[in-house]
Amino acid sequence: MKKLFLILTVMLAGCSTPVPVTVKFPDAPREMLIACPDLTTVDTSTTKLSDILETVTGNYQKYYDCRSQVDDWIIWYNTQKSIFDKIK
Amino acid sequence: MWWLSFIPDAILQQAILILIFIGVSLYPVAFFATVVPGGKRYKPFIFAAATVITILGFYFEGSYSTEMAWRQRVEEVKAKVAQAEEASKEANTKLEKARKQKQQVRVQYYSTIKERIVEKKVLIDAKCELDPAVAKIHNDAASNPAKGSVTVEDVKK
Repeated sequence: MKKLFLILTVMLAGCSTPVPVTVKFPDAPREMLIACPDLTTVDTSTTKLSDILETVTGNYQKYYDCRSQVDDWIIWYNTQKSIFDKIK
Repeated sequence: MWWLSFIPDAILQQAILILIFIGVSLYPVAFFATVVPGGKRYKPFIFAAATVITILGFYFEGSYSTEMAWRQRVEEVKAKVAQAEEASKEANTKLEKARKQKQQVRVQYYSTIKERIVEKKVLIDAKCELDPAVAKIHNDAASNPAKGSVTVEDVKK
């Protein structure tokens, strides 16, 4: 009887076979994983408009870089979703 | 019945068919047992054995067909996953290329703007002197008031 239980246990162990197909979560481009930087501030003692203008221009650039990154994330998500939704 | 996977499919299929064949063949044997002298008493046993073997044979055939159908489905899905992973990598490469192009355009554009500021710096500063409060207000406006208030860890909780 004990042997029978042992045999049954061994045979039933086959039921714990893992799922044969696994889908790996897709990788995003590494550069897109970098957080957007903080905006630049100016020297508080400055009275020159050109300093402010330079900083503001730099910040606009940062904004558009970051906006582009967000747009790319949206593109990435929609593309990957459409690719992986086809697996059925 | 995982251990059945160790037996080659063709042999398994043949064994099942042989089982069905034996089961079905036993019915005429059971019938003819009545003709043979002294064989009549074996008829119920042969008939029962034929029935059990035939049922088992068809049961195994059904299980085998289901197993094969699932294996085929798994292979199909595996192929689709491989295809999707390839398409995913390709899409990433395209996206990275497009990102670099856009980045280059922005860098060039803002370099031009910064050059223009440098060119006109004297003119810009000559006509206007700012109050130190301007820099302070600018810096306050450039700071993020919500920074650190919500983290990824908070969202995960």
